Amino acid sequence: MENSKAFAIAVKDMREVFSSVSIYGPMIGVPSFFALLLPALTYYVSFFAAPALAQKLTSLAALPASITAANGLIFMGFFSVNVLGPIFLTMPILTASVIAADSFAGEKERKTAEALLSSPISVSELLLGKILASLIPTLLLTMGVFALYGGITDALAEHAFGYAVLPTPAWLMMLATSPLLAIATIGVVVFISAHVRGTKEAQQISTLLVLPVLAIPFVSILGIAPLTVTFFEQMMALLLLVDFFVLYASVRSFRKEALL
Amino acid sequence: MSGSRGKTAISVAGLTKGFGSVTALRDITFRSDPGINIVLGPNGAGKSTLLRCMDGLYRPDSGEVRVFGLDPYYSSEARASMSLVSENYALYDYLTVRDNLKLFGRLSSIDDRATMSAATRILGELDAQQYIGARVHALSRGTKQKIAICRALLSDPTVLLLDEPTAFLDAMASDAVRSLMLRYEHEGRTVVFVTQKLDEVTRFNSRITIMSNGRILKSVDSEDLYGTLLRDTKINIRLAMPMRASAARRTPGFETANSDRPTMLTIRIEDYRGINEALGYLIRHGAYVTSIDFIGPLIERLTLDRL
Repeated sequence: MENSKAFAIAVKDMREVFSSVSIYGPMIGVPSFFALLLPALTYYVSFFAAPALAQKLTSLAALPASITAANGLIFMGFFSVNVLGPIFLTMPILTASVIAADSFAGEKERKTAEALLSSPISVSELLLGKILASLIPTLLLTMGVFALYGGITDALAEHAFGYAVLPTPAWLMMLATSPLLAIATIGVVVFISAHVRGTKEAQQISTLLVLPVLAIPFVSILGIAPLTVTFFEQMMALLLLVDFFVLYASVRSFRKEALL
Repeated sequence: MSGSRGKTAISVAGLTKGFGSVTALRDITFRSDPGINIVLGPNGAGKSTLLRCMDGLYRPDSGEVRVFGLDPYYSSEARASMSLVSENYALYDYLTVRDNLKLFGRLSSIDDRATMSAATRILGELDAQQYIGARVHALSRGTKQKIAICRALLSDPTVLLLDEPTAFLDAMASDAVRSLMLRYEHEGRTVVFVTQKLDEVTRFNSRITIMSNGRILKSVDSEDLYGTLLRDTKINIRLAMPMRASAARRTPGFETANSDRPTMLTIRIEDYRGINEALGYLIRHGAYVTSIDFIGPLIERLTLDRL
C-alpha cells in the first residue's frame, strides 16, 4: 500500500469539504455557537439562578455567602462535565457523519468516483484516504470545540468563584473517546453508503449514533453510573470493540461499485 | 507496460454482467487487437458496461476480463496500463483543473512537475490550456471533456478506453482526439473505441464489433457495415440549385422531391451502390450535390437477422 496515494485522496476530500461553505459552515458554526452559549448559561444558572432558587425552596434563613458560592462552583463543575461534556461529545459523530457521507455517498451522488476507481489505487488506499479525510477534520474540530467550551467555562468560573473547573481527569478521558466515536461513525457510513443513493440517507442513518451518547447525562444525573475515569475507560474499551467490528464489516463488505 | 505494445491487451471470455433485474452483458467474448478496436451499437447495447468491465470498475457476474493477463478489477498494475475517457467526465467540481490533474497524477505515481509538464502539452493540443487555473464547475461540458481526456493521457497509457470521446467536443478538439487514436494505432498501442455514431466509426479503417441488447452480434469491416445499413433504405440528396422536376423524377430510385423545382430529392436505394447511380445521373444532368443524408436511425438497423 502506498500511503502517498491514500494521503492524496484524503487531501482531495478535505479540500472538497472545505471549499463549500454550505458543508463546513454549519459543521463549524453550530457547535462553536453552542460552545459559547452553553457555558454562559451554565455560569448564569450557577451564579445567579441556582442560589436564588435554593433560597425560595428552603425554609431556612439565608445561607452564608461562602456556602452559596461553593454550591455554585460544585454545580458548575458537575454540569460542565456531566451534561455539557456529553453534548459536545456528539460533535465527533455529527462531524464525521457529514464528512464521511460526503466522501463516500457524495462520490456516488456526484458521479465522480469513476475516474478515482479507474486509477491504479488499491481498495485499502482508497478506504484509508477516505477514512483519514473524515477523521482528521473531525478530531481537529472536536478538540477546537472542547477547547472553546472548556476555556469559556474556566474563564467564567474564575471570574465568579476564583477557581477553574476544567479540565478534570474524567473530562480529558471523555475527550479521548472522541476518535473512537468518530471511527465508529465513519465505519457505519462506509457500510451504509453501499446501500443508499445519496449523502442525505447516509448522514441521517449514521447520526442515529448520537442517541447513546445523549443518554450519558441521564445515566449520570440519575446516578446509574457516575462519569468517572473508570466509566470512560470502560466506554473506550467497548468502543474499541465496536470500531473493530464496524470497520471489519465495512471493509469486508465494501465493493467499488458502491461508489459508482 | 510499454513492452506490451503490439500484443493482445484485453481478452474477455464469457462475460455476463447485470444490475438488479437488468442483464447488461450476456456471455461476451472479445479480444482486442493492437490498434483501434471499435464497438458500435445503439443505446442500451451494453457498450459502456463492457468498457467499464474492461477498466475494472465492475466485477463480472460470470466470465472473466483480463488486461495483459491480469484481472483489472483487483490489479492496480492492470489499471495503471489503461485509461478510460467516458461521457461522465468525473472531475471534482470544486477543485481547479490543475488540482484535479495533480491528484490523478499522484494516484498514478507521477510527480507534480511531470504532471503539469504533460498537462500543458496535452491541453495545448486540445486548445484548453487557458483553463488550467479555473474551477471545474465553471467550465463548459466540452471543456470538461477536454480536461478528462488530458487526465487520461497523463500516464501515457498502453491501452486507451474511449466512450464517445468526442461527444461534446468542438471540431478542432475532435480532430485532435482522432489524430491521437491514429497515433496510438501507429505506435502499436490498443484503443477500444465505443460509439453509436456511424460517421465516427467510418473515419477509421478498423474492425468493428457490433453490439445489441448486451450481446456481440458480429465483427465486421466498413464495407460489411455499409452493406448492412444501407440495404433497402431511403436517402435525401440536397442540391445547390433547383433542377427541373421532369429530370429529377427520372433519378434512379426517385421517390419524392421537395417542390416543382426541387432542391432536395428522396430516393430509395437497394444498397450503397445505388448512391453512386443516383449521383451519377444527377451530375450528368447538371445538378450540384451538396450533401447526402441517411434517413432514419441507421444504428438501430444493426440486428442479428439483418447481419
